Amino acid sequence: MEHLILRDLDIQNIKNIAVYEEHGGYQAFRKAVKEMTPDQVTDAVKQSGLRGRGGAGFPAGVKWSFLPKGVFPRYLVVNADESEPGTFKDRQMMERNPHQLIEGIAIASYAIQCNQAFIYIRGEFPYAAECLEQAIADAESRGYVGKNIFGTDYHLQIVVHRGAGAYICGEETALLESIEGKLGQPRVKPPFPAAVGLYNKPTVINNVETLINVPLIIERGAQWYASLGTPKSTGPKVFCLSGHVNRPGNYEGEFGKMTFRELIYDLGGGIRNGKKLKGILPAGASGPMVSPLVNEAVLDVKLDFESLAPFGSLLGSASVIVLDEDTCVVWAAKKMLHFFKNESCGKCTPCREGTYWLWRLLERIDAGEGTMADIDLLTSVATQMQGRTLCPLGEFATSPVLGTVKLFREEYERHVKERGCWAKK
Amino acid sequence: MPNVIIDNKPVSVPNGTLVVEAAKQAGVDIPVFCYHPKLQPVGMCRMCLVEVGTPKRGKDGQIETDANGKPVIAWMPKPQAACTTVVSEGMAVRTDTAQVADARRAIVEFLLTSHPLDCPICDKGGECPLQNLTMAYGPGTSRFPVESKFHNEKRVPLGDLIMLDRERCIQCSRCVRFQSEIADDPVLGFQARGRGLEITTLSDPPFDSKFSGNTIDICPVGALTSRDFRLSARTWELRDYPSVCAHCSVGCNLLIGERDHAIKRIVPRENEAVNEIWLCDKGRFAHHFATAPGRLTQPLIRRNGKLETASWNEALDLVASKFAEIKKQNGAHALGGFGGDRAANEDLYLFQKLFRHVIESPNLEHRVGWSATNVGADLVRLYGAGVGTNLGSLDKNVTVLVIGADPEEEQPVLRLRLTRSAKNFGAQLIVANGRVTKLAKHAKQAVIYRHGGEAAFLLGMTRAILDEHLENQEFAATRITNLSAFAKSLEAYSVEKCAELSGVSVEAIRGAARAFAQAPNGLIVYGREAMFAQQSDLAVASGIATLLLITGHVGRANNGLVALYPHNNSTGALDFGLMPDHGLGRAQLGVKGLAARELATGKVRALYVMACDPAADGAFVKPEFLVAQDLFLTDTAQLADVVLPAQAFAEREGTFTNTERRVQLFRAALKPMGETKPDWWIIAEISKRLGSGWNYGSAREIMDEIAAKVPLYAGMNYATLAENVQLPRPRAGQGNASHAPTEIAMGDLENISSGKTWASVAESDASVKFELMWNEPKGQGAGARGQYTLAVARVIYDRGTLVSQTPIVQPRVPALYLEINSQDAQALGIVRGARVRVTFEARVIEAPANVDGRVPPGVVLMPQNLGGALALPLGARVEIEKV
Repeated sequence: MEHLILRDLDIQNIKNIAVYEEHGGYQAFRKAVKEMTPDQVTDAVKQSGLRGRGGAGFPAGVKWSFLPKGVFPRYLVVNADESEPGTFKDRQMMERNPHQLIEGIAIASYAIQCNQAFIYIRGEFPYAAECLEQAIADAESRGYVGKNIFGTDYHLQIVVHRGAGAYICGEETALLESIEGKLGQPRVKPPFPAAVGLYNKPTVINNVETLINVPLIIERGAQWYASLGTPKSTGPKVFCLSGHVNRPGNYEGEFGKMTFRELIYDLGGGIRNGKKLKGILPAGASGPMVSPLVNEAVLDVKLDFESLAPFGSLLGSASVIVLDEDTCVVWAAKKMLHFFKNESCGKCTPCREGTYWLWRLLERIDAGEGTMADIDLLTSVATQMQGRTLCPLGEFATSPVLGTVKLFREEYERHVKERGCWAKK
Repeated sequence: MPNVIIDNKPVSVPNGTLVVEAAKQAGVDIPVFCYHPKLQPVGMCRMCLVEVGTPKRGKDGQIETDANGKPVIAWMPKPQAACTTVVSEGMAVRTDTAQVADARRAIVEFLLTSHPLDCPICDKGGECPLQNLTMAYGPGTSRFPVESKFHNEKRVPLGDLIMLDRERCIQCSRCVRFQSEIADDPVLGFQARGRGLEITTLSDPPFDSKFSGNTIDICPVGALTSRDFRLSARTWELRDYPSVCAHCSVGCNLLIGERDHAIKRIVPRENEAVNEIWLCDKGRFAHHFATAPGRLTQPLIRRNGKLETASWNEALDLVASKFAEIKKQNGAHALGGFGGDRAANEDLYLFQKLFRHVIESPNLEHRVGWSATNVGADLVRLYGAGVGTNLGSLDKNVTVLVIGADPEEEQPVLRLRLTRSAKNFGAQLIVANGRVTKLAKHAKQAVIYRHGGEAAFLLGMTRAILDEHLENQEFAATRITNLSAFAKSLEAYSVEKCAELSGVSVEAIRGAARAFAQAPNGLIVYGREAMFAQQSDLAVASGIATLLLITGHVGRANNGLVALYPHNNSTGALDFGLMPDHGLGRAQLGVKGLAARELATGKVRALYVMACDPAADGAFVKPEFLVAQDLFLTDTAQLADVVLPAQAFAEREGTFTNTERRVQLFRAALKPMGETKPDWWIIAEISKRLGSGWNYGSAREIMDEIAAKVPLYAGMNYATLAENVQLPRPRAGQGNASHAPTEIAMGDLENISSGKTWASVAESDASVKFELMWNEPKGQGAGARGQYTLAVARVIYDRGTLVSQTPIVQPRVPALYLEINSQDAQALGIVRGARVRVTFEARVIEAPANVDGRVPPGVVLMPQNLGGALALPLGARVEIEKV
């Protein structure tokens, strides 16, 4: 299969601009700028059905068209703060196929008529940041970035901005605050960034993987692109596979084609040490766990944005973490809540206090000090966080608890009865 | 005006109204922690979650209706924050559902998981929104295991005045937002994240703001407490007495919290027209003078060169007999009086009555150390800002020319309010001074003139207005008698010439002129540095009057003059004629008494000094018989023959008139100390002994006489002045549970006021005609080589009697310094902190240099009220050298 996103797997040194150009690089951008109006580019992206790959799956072209007319300057911000546990797809793209991303940024910038784009990159990705900076410099030396691109009066500057290690800065408005030099805390929405974004100007924020798809759409056409995947979830998708599998890594497939069985057993080489598969976290720590032990049908679901809903979960950014039969779900939930209570920005009450409370409860239960009432308290606390937080982080933080209690309540009860964790004995 | 239905009650509210505010209109109280009507909403605490729906529209875009013809409401799946949701037409809100009740219970429960259970020792206890809302909405018991509690630092000094308890903080950011949005000192912020998110100060020195105390009031828990009041009383044991601040001339309304005959704390009392719900830290903390151990408590008489205690009768008899004796020997002109502008109206009125009608001497003054003429007094009487002017809510239709003022240091709350007008409502500020002041930050136009060039700048504006025919022609034709004659005098002064004389560019003069003349409303704020401009004070005053008149900016609200006087009752002292040439109601007198300088330098045989300290200003010559009436043994009192112990503002009642001419009533809160008496009583007793037959029983009676005798004060009495006075909030469990007693601004903000403002001539008499005054501007050319122009300013924390009695603010009182421009500093080889020598004529002062870009090149600034620099005049040419 030809890789459309992880092209580094097919073409050696595609991070080198000359190699990228040899393989048609920057022709899509040229076509957009020379042959298409900005609105035509946006329309093509709308028609392609491209949906945001950050997790929410919002149609990218529609997002672009939300910018108020005639308000300048405006900005494109690339969300490269890839921080969800189990997600590492953007990093590979930035480190190994950066030009396709730069080209996507350039086309998107042209489409929304912005002259300055920011790549907000996770601070723990110094090498990826260097790769991007090098790629931008190379693109600039070839006239793809900078002044008078392709002899037109279109200008574009791309700035790589390194984050300082806060998960919450992956939330788009916290990300904007961080670029502005403020504490990374989400803003109240509305107003949405499309109207009042970076430095209070209209702003589009797209994920790395979203933008890296854009050159394909312009180069090969929206119809071709829409033919990939399903009618509702179009195009290629990179799945991050990690956990107790033999071959963890990024695997490119199509929406609606890939199943967990194919991903875990065929591509990932199955569970480590021949163990049984106990649980799958399809969206890193942020989505509820699914388990073939509870419902084996989940292994054969054709994965797209909506298909996991009947199993009480979601695909999110497709950061698939696999847990084998030896894994204690209480321990796993505790680890995830430890993460969320550390990463909650603290701005709103239910998230700040709720993540801390859930973590302390899980610690107690895991240590064998919990009571049966604590299990109900866990779900009660998680439930009373839901729908009341300022941003999705607090909402996501309830998933590890509610998901595991729902699937494996007896394991929680066992911790209480046996005064400790079976897996550690 | 969208129509909204809240808990089935329909209300109509202005566009942009938040649901939480609209609910108040419907009589529905939505509990809040982070929301505050004075601050930008942030939606952090989530306490205000309510159900929100909008009319459901069919495919045709039409609103669907139910069987009763009412719109079908599409309810949002999640509850919404009422503090960040803006109303829209047809919106429906439910606050009385199980879902909302559960959300409130959940939020309170969450907050309490990390909040310590130290209410029994918490200063906020009894007036704590968290306590109140827990009682109202919280769960009865906690499900949170106490051993899991998050602990944090309990005592973090957040500056000299505020203590932070990190464990109690609920991260609402009210303090952070107050400092950046209202105080315009963004010195607080959050650090870290999650449960560890905590308040920190970003400034050095820490919490560097003149308004820090307000964060205590608006803190919805006991996280920020006063280092002065902390742990000294329970709030429910305090009795709150409505009073008025005794420091600057803003006249902030306050509540004195009294217990055991002591002031435990001072908190603001809401008055939207004066101080909203704010106080500066000086007003809040520097009250210890009122109960200081150094207070005079008994009359003193000098015997054998030493001041010895005496009875009131002895002291009063001695004063009366000496006054009578001197009057008999040398006539009434041999007696004089200084009635300080810190005294109440009732005291000042009697003081002048004693001199003018009993002693029959015209030698009356209140302006110790001023070189000012009386022009300012006349200007305010004629053109004072119209009644109804609210300096905190001026909008884009008002241009305010602020000249020679530094309200940040002299009238802090007024600076805060002018900033609010500019920032929130779009008022156009033109800030003109010889240096950079804090107010200039939000000015549409900041003008730096050369010291001494104030009058030329104003004249240039006048000339530019007339050149461009921007004057108010109707007003000029009907109300000004001599515009053409005036224009003739002005011929020699082109805008270009005025630019040269003032050091302001032609464009800046023209820009300011257009902005002021073309605005529908115009105010001029006349500061101390312009009043005292040494060389040209008459020309500055007439320049201000001319600008107001030719633009017709007089006689209405938001038009006219606000003169910023130094003390709490400077306006009252002018109103009651404590001047040698003006009488009651600022009436011009035919006779002229001795001026302040003459009174202070022994030109009278007997001098009666009340509530001021002329001897502290140097060059004082003790007259043959000196009477001092004060709270403390001041420099003057130490020289006096008789010392009479007066009462502090907190021990008696009376009225002060603020810088906007608002007469405000203050009540007694404390039992008088020792044998002290109110000033008015002492004056009346002396008067009786001189045969006057006065018989005043209370300050209230004197006010009734003032109202009858002084037309400006007609109709004012203690009852009318007390109308709408805001008393403390209901206590816990009563009334509106969301709000602490000090956090009053939750209701009908704009209609709350107290006090009465007297009307200027321009507004009380629509037919009166005005004459433009011509005074030649002197200007000031560039100085000789090596000379610097001295700017003399005042700083808020001074070395005066009142501030020095409060230890907690002493770290904020700076040592005397000289501010110098960085270019000049470089040329002189000086760095910040280096000692410099300032030479003026024969006087030499040494001080450390402060290089921070607030003075232009060629200008140095020295605070006037830090000791040492007192005698130097504004605009003096001084020489500077490195020590």
